[in-house]
Amino acid sequence: MTTPSQALPPLALGQIPTLLRGEPGPIQLWIGDWRASRVLFYAAVTVAGTAAFGLVLGAWRDPMQGVYTAIKFPLIVLLTALGNGLLNGMLAPLLGTNISFRQSLLAVLMSFTIAAAVLGACAPLIYFAIWNAPKFSGALAGTALTIHSVIYLGLVAAMAVAGLAGNVRLLQLLRRISGNEGAARRTLFAWLAGNLFLGSQLAWMARPFVGAPHLPVEFLRPNALEGNFYESFWQHLQQIFQ
Amino acid sequence: MNESQPSATPPPIPPTINSALPLGEHPDDRLPITGPVTAVEALLRQPRRMLFQLRQSGAAKIIAGLLLVAVLCAAVYGLVVGSFAGGAQYWIAPVKIVGGMVVAALICLPSLYIFSCLAGSQARLAEVFGLVVGLLVLTTILLIGFAPVAWVFSQSTNSITAMGFLHLAFWAVATFFGWRFLKNGFAHLSAQSMGALYVWICIFVLVCLQMTTALRPIIGTSEDFFPKEKKFFLAHWFEVLEQRPAQPASATQR
Repeated sequence: MTTPSQALPPLALGQIPTLLRGEPGPIQLWIGDWRASRVLFYAAVTVAGTAAFGLVLGAWRDPMQGVYTAIKFPLIVLLTALGNGLLNGMLAPLLGTNISFRQSLLAVLMSFTIAAAVLGACAPLIYFAIWNAPKFSGALAGTALTIHSVIYLGLVAAMAVAGLAGNVRLLQLLRRISGNEGAARRTLFAWLAGNLFLGSQLAWMARPFVGAPHLPVEFLRPNALEGNFYESFWQHLQQIFQ
Repeated sequence: MNESQPSATPPPIPPTINSALPLGEHPDDRLPITGPVTAVEALLRQPRRMLFQLRQSGAAKIIAGLLLVAVLCAAVYGLVVGSFAGGAQYWIAPVKIVGGMVVAALICLPSLYIFSCLAGSQARLAEVFGLVVGLLVLTTILLIGFAPVAWVFSQSTNSITAMGFLHLAFWAVATFFGWRFLKNGFAHLSAQSMGALYVWICIFVLVCLQMTTALRPIIGTSEDFFPKEKKFFLAHWFEVLEQRPAQPASATQR
Protein backbone atom coordinates (compact mmCIF):
# COMPACT_ATOMS: atom_id res chain seq x y z
CA MET A 1 0.00 0.00 0.00
CA THR A 2 1.30 3.46 -0.86
CA THR A 3 1.33 6.07 1.91
CA PRO A 4 0.70 9.77 1.12
CA SER A 5 4.41 10.52 1.67
CA GLN A 6 5.48 7.85 -0.81
CA ALA A 7 3.15 9.26 -3.44
CA LEU A 8 4.71 12.73 -3.26
CA PRO A 9 6.03 14.02 -6.62
CA PRO A 10 9.81 14.67 -6.88
CA LEU A 11 9.39 18.43 -6.52
CA ALA A 12 6.96 18.39 -3.58
CA LEU A 13 7.96 20.45 -0.53
CA GLY A 14 6.25 17.83 1.60
CA GLN A 15 9.32 15.63 1.16
CA ILE A 16 11.31 17.83 3.54
CA PRO A 17 9.26 17.10 6.70
CA THR A 18 9.31 13.41 5.74
CA LEU A 19 13.10 13.54 5.46
CA LEU A 20 13.37 15.39 8.77
CA ARG A 21 11.20 12.79 10.48
CA GLY A 22 13.28 10.05 8.89
CA GLU A 23 10.27 8.03 7.71
CA PRO A 24 12.02 4.92 6.39
CA GLY A 25 9.32 3.72 3.96
CA PRO A 26 9.06 6.73 1.66
CA ILE A 27 12.76 7.57 1.88
CA GLN A 28 13.80 4.09 0.83
CA LEU A 29 11.33 4.27 -2.04
CA TRP A 30 12.71 7.64 -3.17
CA ILE A 31 16.27 6.34 -3.00
CA GLY A 32 15.33 3.40 -5.18
CA ASP A 33 13.47 5.59 -7.65
CA TRP A 34 16.26 7.81 -9.10
CA ARG A 35 14.93 10.94 -10.76
CA ALA A 36 16.95 13.94 -11.86
CA SER A 37 14.15 16.29 -10.76
CA ARG A 38 14.32 14.91 -7.22
CA VAL A 39 18.10 15.36 -7.11
CA LEU A 40 17.73 18.93 -8.36
CA PHE A 41 15.04 19.60 -5.77
CA TYR A 42 17.25 18.38 -2.91
CA ALA A 43 20.14 20.42 -4.30
CA ALA A 44 17.87 23.49 -4.45
CA VAL A 45 16.76 23.06 -0.84
CA THR A 46 20.39 22.55 0.21
CA VAL A 47 21.41 25.72 -1.63
CA ALA A 48 18.50 27.72 -0.15
CA GLY A 49 19.12 26.62 3.45
CA THR A 50 22.89 27.02 3.42
CA ALA A 51 22.73 30.30 1.47
CA ALA A 52 20.32 31.80 4.04
CA PHE A 53 22.62 30.69 6.83
CA GLY A 54 25.68 32.02 5.01
CA LEU A 55 24.01 35.36 4.36
CA VAL A 56 23.41 36.04 8.05
CA LEU A 57 26.84 34.77 9.09
CA GLY A 58 28.68 37.28 6.95
CA ALA A 59 26.20 40.10 7.54
CA TRP A 60 27.87 41.32 10.76
CA ARG A 61 31.21 42.10 9.08
CA ASP A 62 29.70 43.62 5.94
CA PRO A 63 26.58 42.99 3.80
CA MET A 64 28.88 42.11 0.89
CA GLN A 65 30.59 39.51 3.04
CA GLY A 66 27.13 38.03 3.65
CA VAL A 67 26.55 37.76 -0.11
CA TYR A 68 29.97 36.11 -0.61
CA THR A 69 29.29 33.60 2.16
CA ALA A 70 25.82 32.91 0.75
CA ILE A 71 27.51 31.92 -2.53
CA LYS A 72 30.39 29.93 -1.08
CA PHE A 73 28.61 27.95 1.62
CA PRO A 74 26.22 26.06 -0.71
CA LEU A 75 29.08 25.48 -3.15
CA ILE A 76 31.17 23.77 -0.48
CA VAL A 77 28.31 21.50 0.55
CA LEU A 78 27.45 20.48 -3.01
CA LEU A 79 31.11 20.06 -4.02
CA THR A 80 31.68 17.84 -0.97
CA ALA A 81 28.74 15.64 -1.93
CA LEU A 82 29.84 15.44 -5.56
CA GLY A 83 33.57 15.13 -4.85
CA ASN A 84 33.06 12.17 -2.55
CA GLY A 85 30.23 10.63 -4.56
CA LEU A 86 32.49 8.11 -6.29
CA LEU A 87 34.37 7.18 -3.12
CA ASN A 88 31.17 6.88 -1.08
CA GLY A 89 29.59 4.72 -3.77
CA MET A 90 32.57 2.35 -3.70
CA LEU A 91 32.90 2.22 0.08
CA ALA A 92 29.23 1.38 0.73
CA PRO A 93 29.22 -2.14 -0.83
CA LEU A 94 32.72 -2.81 0.49
CA LEU A 95 31.48 -2.10 4.02
CA GLY A 96 28.31 -4.19 3.70
CA THR A 97 25.71 -1.71 2.45
CA ASN A 98 24.66 -2.85 -0.98
CA ILE A 99 23.59 0.32 -2.80
CA SER A 100 24.50 1.83 -6.15
CA PHE A 101 26.55 4.97 -6.82
CA ARG A 102 23.41 6.93 -7.57
CA GLN A 103 21.69 5.72 -4.42
CA SER A 104 24.69 6.59 -2.25
CA LEU A 105 24.86 10.04 -3.81
CA LEU A 106 21.13 10.56 -3.21
CA ALA A 107 21.43 9.32 0.38
CA VAL A 108 24.27 11.76 1.11
CA LEU A 109 22.37 14.56 -0.62
CA MET A 110 19.32 13.76 1.51
CA SER A 111 21.37 14.07 4.69
CA PHE A 112 22.79 17.39 3.44
CA THR A 113 19.24 18.54 2.68
CA ILE A 114 18.22 17.78 6.27
CA ALA A 115 21.26 19.67 7.58
CA ALA A 116 20.52 22.61 5.26
CA ALA A 117 16.90 22.75 6.45
CA VAL A 118 18.11 22.92 10.06
CA LEU A 119 20.65 25.63 9.18
CA GLY A 120 18.03 27.60 7.25
CA ALA A 121 15.65 27.43 10.22
CA CYS A 122 18.45 28.66 12.52
CA ALA A 123 19.22 31.60 10.20
CA PRO A 124 16.62 34.00 11.73
CA LEU A 125 17.92 33.21 15.23
CA ILE A 126 21.55 33.78 14.21
CA TYR A 127 20.55 37.01 12.48
CA PHE A 128 18.76 38.21 15.61
CA ALA A 129 21.88 37.48 17.67
CA ILE A 130 24.10 39.29 15.16
CA TRP A 131 21.68 42.24 14.96
CA ASN A 132 22.00 42.59 18.72
CA ALA A 133 25.80 42.57 18.64
CA PRO A 134 27.65 45.89 18.45
CA LYS A 135 28.05 46.94 14.81
CA PHE A 136 31.42 46.23 13.22
CA SER A 137 33.84 49.09 13.65
CA GLY A 138 37.59 49.24 13.19
CA ALA A 139 37.77 51.38 16.36
CA LEU A 140 36.42 48.53 18.53
CA ALA A 141 39.25 46.15 17.69
CA GLY A 142 39.09 44.02 20.88
CA THR A 143 35.28 43.81 20.95
CA ALA A 144 35.10 43.12 17.22
CA LEU A 145 37.57 40.26 17.56
CA THR A 146 35.53 38.72 20.39
CA ILE A 147 32.26 39.04 18.44
CA HIS A 148 33.93 37.51 15.41
CA SER A 149 35.07 34.58 17.54
CA VAL A 150 31.59 34.14 19.06
CA ILE A 151 29.98 34.12 15.59
CA TYR A 152 32.63 31.67 14.39
CA LEU A 153 31.91 29.31 17.28
CA GLY A 154 28.17 29.76 16.68
CA LEU A 155 28.76 28.67 13.10
CA VAL A 156 30.57 25.54 14.27
CA ALA A 157 27.86 24.77 16.86
CA ALA A 158 24.99 25.22 14.36
CA MET A 159 26.78 23.07 11.81
CA ALA A 160 27.42 20.40 14.43
CA VAL A 161 23.71 20.26 15.34
CA ALA A 162 22.65 20.27 11.67
CA GLY A 163 25.25 17.65 10.77
CA LEU A 164 24.19 15.46 13.68
CA ALA A 165 20.54 15.65 12.59
CA GLY A 166 21.44 14.77 9.01
CA ASN A 167 23.68 11.87 9.97
CA VAL A 168 21.28 10.35 12.50
CA ARG A 169 18.70 10.13 9.72
CA LEU A 170 21.31 8.79 7.30
CA LEU A 171 22.26 6.07 9.79
CA GLN A 172 18.62 5.03 10.13
CA LEU A 173 18.37 4.78 6.37
CA LEU A 174 21.59 2.80 5.99
CA ARG A 175 20.47 0.47 8.77
CA ARG A 176 17.27 -0.22 6.88
CA ILE A 177 18.97 -0.69 3.52
CA SER A 178 21.75 -2.95 4.77
CA GLY A 179 19.70 -4.73 7.43
CA ASN A 180 22.86 -4.82 9.51
CA GLU A 181 23.68 -2.41 12.33
CA GLY A 182 27.44 -2.90 12.01
CA ALA A 183 27.50 -2.38 8.24
CA ALA A 184 25.37 0.74 8.55
CA ARG A 185 27.67 2.23 11.19
CA ARG A 186 30.81 1.37 9.21
CA THR A 187 29.40 2.92 6.06
CA LEU A 188 28.27 6.06 7.85
CA PHE A 189 31.61 6.43 9.59
CA ALA A 190 33.50 6.04 6.31
CA TRP A 191 31.26 8.55 4.55
CA LEU A 192 31.53 10.99 7.44
CA ALA A 193 35.31 10.73 7.55
CA GLY A 194 35.57 11.33 3.80
CA ASN A 195 33.10 14.23 3.83
CA LEU A 196 34.78 15.84 6.83
CA PHE A 197 38.22 15.50 5.26
CA LEU A 198 37.19 17.06 1.94
CA GLY A 199 34.59 19.46 3.35
CA SER A 200 36.88 21.00 5.97
CA GLN A 201 39.63 21.59 3.43
CA LEU A 202 37.19 23.11 0.91
CA ALA A 203 35.83 25.32 3.67
CA TRP A 204 39.33 26.38 4.60
CA MET A 205 40.14 27.27 1.03
CA ALA A 206 36.89 29.20 0.60
CA ARG A 207 37.40 31.38 3.70
CA PRO A 208 36.39 34.00 4.86
CA PHE A 209 32.84 33.20 5.96
CA VAL A 210 32.33 35.44 8.99
CA GLY A 211 35.07 37.88 7.93
CA ALA A 212 37.96 38.60 10.30
CA PRO A 213 37.75 42.19 11.64
CA HIS A 214 41.37 43.03 10.80
CA LEU A 215 41.20 41.71 7.22
CA PRO A 216 39.43 43.19 4.20
CA VAL A 217 36.10 41.92 2.87
CA GLU A 218 36.85 39.64 -0.08
CA PHE A 219 35.52 36.56 -1.84
CA LEU A 220 38.66 34.47 -1.23
CA ARG A 221 41.79 35.24 0.78
CA PRO A 222 45.02 35.63 -1.21
CA ASN A 223 46.56 32.92 1.02
CA ALA A 224 43.64 30.53 0.53
CA LEU A 225 45.88 27.48 0.55
CA GLU A 226 47.74 28.20 3.80
CA GLY A 227 46.95 26.76 7.26
CA ASN A 228 44.05 24.47 8.18
CA PHE A 229 40.62 24.49 9.80
CA TYR A 230 41.55 22.93 13.17
CA GLU A 231 44.40 25.37 13.73
CA SER A 232 42.00 28.29 13.17
CA PHE A 233 39.33 26.81 15.46
CA TRP A 234 41.87 26.49 18.28
CA GLN A 235 42.95 30.12 17.83
CA HIS A 236 39.34 31.32 18.14
CA LEU A 237 38.85 29.31 21.33
CA GLN A 238 41.97 30.91 22.78
CA GLN A 239 40.70 34.38 21.80
CA ILE A 240 37.48 33.87 23.76
CA PHE A 241 38.97 32.36 26.91
CA GLN A 242 42.14 34.41 27.18
CA MET B 1 -39.93 22.36 50.60
CA ASN B 2 -37.81 25.33 51.66
CA GLU B 3 -36.03 26.69 48.55
CA SER B 4 -33.36 28.47 50.55
CA GLN B 5 -32.19 25.21 52.05
CA PRO B 6 -29.12 23.91 50.21
CA SER B 7 -29.41 20.65 48.38
CA ALA B 8 -28.09 17.62 50.26
CA THR B 9 -25.90 16.40 47.39
CA PRO B 10 -23.48 18.79 45.70
CA PRO B 11 -23.32 18.84 41.90
CA PRO B 12 -20.97 16.19 40.53
CA ILE B 13 -17.44 17.24 39.69
CA PRO B 14 -16.84 16.81 35.96
CA PRO B 15 -14.57 13.81 35.35
CA THR B 16 -11.03 14.62 34.24
CA ILE B 17 -10.15 13.40 30.77
CA ASN B 18 -7.32 10.93 30.53
CA SER B 19 -4.54 12.92 28.84
CA ALA B 20 -3.32 9.79 27.03
CA LEU B 21 -6.63 9.52 25.19
CA PRO B 22 -6.16 10.44 21.50
CA LEU B 23 -7.50 13.85 20.52
CA GLY B 24 -11.09 13.72 19.34
CA GLU B 25 -11.91 10.52 21.24
CA HIS B 26 -13.65 12.44 24.00
CA PRO B 27 -16.90 14.18 22.95
CA ASP B 28 -15.75 17.46 24.60
CA ASP B 29 -12.76 17.61 22.23
CA ARG B 30 -15.12 17.93 19.28
CA LEU B 31 -17.10 20.89 20.58
CA PRO B 32 -16.70 23.64 17.98
CA ILE B 33 -14.87 26.86 18.81
CA THR B 34 -17.02 29.67 17.52
CA GLY B 35 -15.06 32.81 18.39
CA PRO B 36 -12.10 34.32 20.23
CA VAL B 37 -13.88 34.21 23.61
CA THR B 38 -14.67 30.52 23.25
CA ALA B 39 -11.12 29.98 22.06
CA VAL B 40 -9.64 31.61 25.16
CA GLU B 41 -11.99 29.63 27.37
CA ALA B 42 -10.96 26.43 25.61
CA LEU B 43 -7.27 27.29 26.07
CA LEU B 44 -7.74 27.80 29.78
CA ARG B 45 -10.19 25.03 30.59
CA GLN B 46 -10.11 22.49 27.76
CA PRO B 47 -6.70 22.59 26.06
CA ARG B 48 -7.47 19.25 24.37
CA ARG B 49 -10.44 20.87 22.63
CA MET B 50 -8.17 23.62 21.31
CA LEU B 51 -5.51 21.13 20.22
CA PHE B 52 -8.11 19.09 18.36
CA GLN B 53 -9.58 22.15 16.64
CA LEU B 54 -6.11 23.31 15.55
CA ARG B 55 -5.87 20.14 13.46
CA GLN B 56 -9.17 20.70 11.68
CA SER B 57 -9.73 22.49 8.39
CA GLY B 58 -11.11 25.69 9.95
CA ALA B 59 -8.07 26.22 12.16
CA ALA B 60 -6.88 29.33 10.29
CA LYS B 61 -9.81 31.37 11.60
CA ILE B 62 -9.21 30.20 15.16
CA ILE B 63 -5.49 31.00 14.90
CA ALA B 64 -6.20 34.46 13.49
CA GLY B 65 -8.67 35.14 16.32
CA LEU B 66 -6.19 33.92 18.91
CA LEU B 67 -3.43 36.07 17.45
CA LEU B 68 -5.71 39.08 17.71
CA VAL B 69 -6.44 38.23 21.34
CA ALA B 70 -2.70 37.90 22.07
CA VAL B 71 -1.96 41.25 20.44
CA LEU B 72 -4.79 42.98 22.35
CA CYS B 73 -3.79 41.46 25.68
CA ALA B 74 -0.12 42.33 25.13
CA ALA B 75 -1.13 45.89 24.25
CA VAL B 76 -3.23 46.20 27.41
CA TYR B 77 -0.38 44.89 29.55
CA GLY B 78 1.90 47.30 27.68
CA LEU B 79 -0.34 50.16 28.85
CA VAL B 80 0.20 49.03 32.42
CA VAL B 81 3.97 48.82 31.84
CA GLY B 82 3.89 52.29 30.29
CA SER B 83 1.97 53.71 33.25
CA PHE B 84 5.19 53.61 35.30
CA ALA B 85 6.83 56.38 33.29
CA GLY B 86 3.66 57.85 31.77
CA GLY B 87 3.71 60.32 28.86
CA ALA B 88 4.87 58.85 25.57
CA GLN B 89 5.48 55.46 27.20
CA TYR B 90 1.72 54.94 27.20
CA TRP B 91 1.94 54.19 23.48
CA ILE B 92 5.63 53.24 23.17
CA ALA B 93 5.49 50.39 25.69
CA PRO B 94 2.44 48.65 24.12
CA VAL B 95 3.92 49.00 20.62
CA LYS B 96 7.27 47.57 21.72
CA ILE B 97 5.74 44.72 23.72
CA VAL B 98 3.38 43.69 20.91
CA GLY B 99 6.06 44.08 18.23
CA GLY B 100 8.70 42.28 20.28
CA MET B 101 6.36 39.40 21.08
CA VAL B 102 5.29 38.86 17.47
CA VAL B 103 8.83 39.19 16.07
CA ALA B 104 10.24 36.80 18.71
CA ALA B 105 7.57 34.23 17.82
CA LEU B 106 8.25 34.59 14.08
CA ILE B 107 12.02 34.30 14.55
CA CYS B 108 11.61 31.10 16.56
CA LEU B 109 8.84 29.51 14.47
CA PRO B 110 11.03 27.93 11.73
CA SER B 111 13.32 26.27 14.27
CA LEU B 112 10.35 24.91 16.22
CA TYR B 113 8.88 23.40 13.07
CA ILE B 114 12.20 21.81 12.05
CA PHE B 115 12.83 20.56 15.60
CA SER B 116 9.34 19.08 15.78
CA CYS B 117 9.88 17.23 12.50
CA LEU B 118 13.25 15.95 13.75
CA ALA B 119 11.46 14.70 16.88
CA GLY B 120 9.18 12.67 14.62
CA SER B 121 6.11 14.88 14.96
CA GLN B 122 3.54 14.82 12.17
CA ALA B 123 2.60 18.47 12.73
CA ARG B 124 2.11 20.79 9.77
CA LEU B 125 3.59 24.28 9.85
CA ALA B 126 0.10 25.72 10.39
CA GLU B 127 -0.42 23.49 13.45
CA VAL B 128 2.95 24.48 14.89
CA PHE B 129 2.07 28.13 14.30
CA GLY B 130 -1.25 27.52 16.07
CA LEU B 131 0.58 26.04 19.06
CA VAL B 132 2.94 29.03 19.24
CA VAL B 133 -0.03 31.40 19.05
CA GLY B 134 -1.67 29.36 21.83
CA LEU B 135 1.48 29.85 23.91
CA LEU B 136 1.34 33.61 23.27
CA VAL B 137 -2.35 33.83 24.15
CA LEU B 138 -1.95 31.92 27.41
CA THR B 139 1.06 34.04 28.32
CA THR B 140 -0.63 37.35 27.58
CA ILE B 141 -3.95 36.34 29.14
CA LEU B 142 -2.13 35.51 32.35
CA LEU B 143 -0.26 38.80 32.12
CA ILE B 144 -3.64 40.53 32.01
CA GLY B 145 -4.43 38.66 35.24
CA PHE B 146 -1.24 40.08 36.74
CA ALA B 147 -1.89 43.57 35.33
CA PRO B 148 -3.75 45.03 38.37
CA VAL B 149 -0.90 43.96 40.66
CA ALA B 150 1.67 45.36 38.24
CA TRP B 151 -0.28 48.64 38.01
CA VAL B 152 -0.42 49.02 41.82
CA PHE B 153 3.35 48.56 42.02
CA SER B 154 3.89 50.90 39.05
CA GLN B 155 2.12 53.70 40.89
CA SER B 156 3.80 53.10 44.22
CA THR B 157 7.47 52.64 43.43
CA ASN B 158 10.16 54.67 41.69
CA SER B 159 12.57 51.80 41.23
CA ILE B 160 12.93 50.72 37.63
CA THR B 161 14.95 47.70 38.74
CA ALA B 162 12.15 46.51 41.01
CA MET B 163 9.55 47.01 38.28
CA GLY B 164 11.72 45.25 35.73
CA PHE B 165 12.13 42.30 38.06
CA LEU B 166 8.39 42.20 38.78
CA HIS B 167 7.43 42.24 35.08
CA LEU B 168 9.99 39.54 34.31
CA ALA B 169 8.68 37.40 37.15
CA PHE B 170 5.10 37.75 35.90
CA TRP B 171 6.22 36.98 32.36
CA ALA B 172 8.14 33.89 33.56
CA VAL B 173 5.09 32.49 35.38
CA ALA B 174 2.83 33.22 32.40
CA THR B 175 5.29 31.69 29.93
CA PHE B 176 5.51 28.55 32.03
CA PHE B 177 1.80 27.93 31.54
CA GLY B 178 2.06 28.76 27.85
CA TRP B 179 4.93 26.30 27.56
CA ARG B 180 2.82 23.62 29.26
CA PHE B 181 0.18 24.05 26.56
CA LEU B 182 2.81 23.75 23.85
CA LYS B 183 4.23 20.63 25.46
CA ASN B 184 0.79 19.01 25.70
CA GLY B 185 0.24 19.85 22.06
CA PHE B 186 3.43 18.12 21.01
CA ALA B 187 2.62 15.07 23.07
CA HIS B 188 -0.43 14.64 20.83
CA LEU B 189 1.47 15.16 17.58
CA SER B 190 3.30 11.80 17.65
CA ALA B 191 6.55 13.42 18.77
CA GLN B 192 8.91 10.62 19.81
CA SER B 193 11.16 12.85 21.87
CA MET B 194 10.64 16.05 23.85
CA GLY B 195 14.36 16.91 23.91
CA ALA B 196 14.17 19.21 20.90
CA LEU B 197 11.21 21.02 22.44
CA TYR B 198 13.16 21.66 25.64
CA VAL B 199 16.00 23.11 23.58
CA TRP B 200 13.53 25.27 21.68
CA ILE B 201 11.89 26.74 24.77
CA CYS B 202 15.36 27.75 26.03
CA ILE B 203 15.99 29.48 22.68
CA PHE B 204 12.57 31.17 22.82
CA VAL B 205 13.13 32.46 26.35
CA LEU B 206 16.59 33.78 25.40
CA VAL B 207 15.18 35.53 22.31
CA CYS B 208 12.40 37.13 24.39
CA LEU B 209 14.84 38.30 27.07
CA GLN B 210 17.19 39.71 24.45
CA MET B 211 14.21 41.41 22.80
CA THR B 212 13.52 43.33 26.02
CA THR B 213 17.06 44.71 25.83
CA ALA B 214 16.99 45.27 22.07
CA LEU B 215 13.79 47.34 22.39
CA ARG B 216 14.74 49.23 25.58
CA PRO B 217 13.55 51.45 27.13
CA ILE B 218 10.17 49.77 27.74
CA ILE B 219 9.58 50.72 31.37
CA GLY B 220 11.63 53.91 31.59
CA THR B 221 11.99 56.76 29.11
CA SER B 222 14.46 57.82 26.48
CA GLU B 223 14.68 60.40 23.73
CA ASP B 224 15.22 57.64 21.17
CA PHE B 225 12.66 55.00 20.23
CA PHE B 226 15.39 52.36 19.79
CA PRO B 227 18.63 52.23 21.78
CA LYS B 228 21.77 53.45 20.04
CA GLU B 229 23.97 50.89 21.72
CA LYS B 230 23.62 47.12 21.21
CA LYS B 231 23.97 45.02 24.33
CA PHE B 232 23.56 41.48 25.55
CA PHE B 233 20.65 41.35 28.00
CA LEU B 234 22.72 40.05 30.92
CA ALA B 235 25.26 42.86 30.47
CA HIS B 236 22.40 45.36 30.44
CA TRP B 237 20.85 43.89 33.58
CA PHE B 238 24.14 44.06 35.47
CA GLU B 239 24.58 47.68 34.39
CA VAL B 240 21.09 48.56 35.63
CA LEU B 241 21.70 46.77 38.93
CA GLU B 242 24.94 48.68 39.45
CA GLN B 243 23.19 52.04 39.00
CA ARG B 244 21.98 53.69 42.21
CA PRO B 245 18.15 53.74 42.32
CA ALA B 246 18.07 57.30 43.69
CA GLN B 247 19.62 58.69 40.52
CA PRO B 248 16.93 60.05 38.19
CA ALA B 249 19.17 59.33 35.19
CA SER B 250 18.72 55.63 35.84
CA ALA B 251 15.18 55.94 34.59
CA THR B 252 16.46 56.05 31.06
CA GLN B 253 17.49 53.26 28.72
CA ARG B 254 15.46 50.61 30.46
